[in-house]
Amino acid sequence: MIITRDDILEVLKKIATKIEENREYITDLDSATGDGDHWANMNMGFKKIVDEIDNLKVLEIPELIKKVGMLLMSTIGGSSGVLYGTAFIRASQVIAGKSELDKNDISRMMEAGLEGIMTRGKAKPGDKTMIDTLFPASNAFKAAIESDLNLHEAANVSKEAGYNGMLSTKDMSATKGRAFYQANKGLGHIDPGAVTLYYMIEVFSDYIVNK
Amino acid sequence: MKKIINIADEVVNDMIEGLVAANSNLLKRVDGFNVIVRKNKSDNDKVALVTGGGSGHEPAHAGYVGEGMLDAAVCGNVFASPSPDQIIEGIKAAEMGKGVLLIIKNYSGDIMNFDMARELAEMEDISVETVVVNDDVAVEDSTYTTGRRGIAGTVFVHKVAGAMAEKGADLAEVKRVAQKVVDNVRSMGMAMSSCIIPAVGKPGFSLGDDEVEIGMGIHGEPGVERTSVKSAVELSEILTSRVLEDLPFKEGDEVALMINGLGSTPLMEQYILNREVHRFLTEKGIKVYRTYVGNYMTALEMSGCSVSLLKLDEELKELLGAPAETAALTQRCKGVCK
Repeated sequence: MIITRDDILEVLKKIATKIEENREYITDLDSATGDGDHWANMNMGFKKIVDEIDNLKVLEIPELIKKVGMLLMSTIGGSSGVLYGTAFIRASQVIAGKSELDKNDISRMMEAGLEGIMTRGKAKPGDKTMIDTLFPASNAFKAAIESDLNLHEAANVSKEAGYNGMLSTKDMSATKGRAFYQANKGLGHIDPGAVTLYYMIEVFSDYIVNK
Repeated sequence: MKKIINIADEVVNDMIEGLVAANSNLLKRVDGFNVIVRKNKSDNDKVALVTGGGSGHEPAHAGYVGEGMLDAAVCGNVFASPSPDQIIEGIKAAEMGKGVLLIIKNYSGDIMNFDMARELAEMEDISVETVVVNDDVAVEDSTYTTGRRGIAGTVFVHKVAGAMAEKGADLAEVKRVAQKVVDNVRSMGMAMSSCIIPAVGKPGFSLGDDEVEIGMGIHGEPGVERTSVKSAVELSEILTSRVLEDLPFKEGDEVALMINGLGSTPLMEQYILNREVHRFLTEKGIKVYRTYVGNYMTALEMSGCSVSLLKLDEELKELLGAPAETAALTQRCKGVCK
């Protein structure tokens, strides 16, 4: 199974919808641990992507992914903006020259994005961040294709690992970001950044499975 | 909240337009971005100096764009780093083919955003080096910082590196002197009242009528202790001795001194503090080569000040004394201006 530019555009639109639908949940989580503006910023970022679809659909896949990174960076702003920007731009670099993507490309993109976020944010798994979703999801995807599972199956195990990773942030104490400055370091609350990253994994996986 | 503004969310835009209107001979804005560049690029191709950070610290940094100092300054929202897409515009507008030095104050947001901008610049084959300024001796690790915070000493980096770039030095050389300033500059501040971020509308912290906070950051980050109001003599000794011990500065050293007002502290008080710091340094056998007194890096309407000392050698003396023409700092003479 091969992923085309149209598939990528569809996934981006579905991510935007998913984020838009979860305003209350994300904002509640963020009010408990952060500034309360994570949903608004993420929503603005992905709305912007949807607004720019006509400009994006004429680009080759690597340029499209890079442009998405630039748009997220400028629209989301703050740390989330630069971290998502880094992830998409790094992901675009490992697929230079490709006009369609296979499971190996997806795995390399996830790894590159993860690596970018960890380096840029100077954070690691266990810090109660988006990394706690992406790290297990990326590893599970990689392990799946290494044991010859197909894209469909790999997307499924990746989603499950990401979901568990997201939930695991509930019992973590923050070492980064605003939650760190809360008296209880966000303990007992799922990290909203881990949730919005999970939405991306989930939407991608569901799209692949239903295609 | 009493402020001379229109809409809180537009203060950065409005400030930039006002700054450019006041200095249209020196500055222009990059269309569509919160980026200030020199009106006329330098006659000779040279290393470009680009900096930036949150707004609310005026005249830092756009006030230091001009001959002998910066080539571009990127203005973030109040107390928030500019995003990489803004910074890359500053880099592209400023660079002249000899590379770009990014001068970054040590705050996590600034580090992250400038680092990303550097990566974007490298993707466009622009060579970029960075220096991180962390002159504030007050605290290690703070609300927005890992390590020490960057404050008013940054202006010395702009001045010295700017003079080196103007001489036509290459990127490695400009970076070397910038780092030399970072290694030899130390600062310590204190606050007497809070400040109000326009979009927030209320003070970020409160201090009693008779309280000061020693070591407070330029965004209201916690300092080292709250104490009762002190005399200028006492304050000068508290701040200066912390600075002296840290490097350490020694008898016989020559220094540049900056007394920096945080926004609401009258120049009269800054001069009084300067008198006492001079007296204290003389007692310690430290020679002040050059003194700067004024609002060089503010924290909105916070009242308070910081004291910065830069240990000088012959090279730094020459570069510090070189001419500069910017909105906030203009020097005309070579060497010591008396």
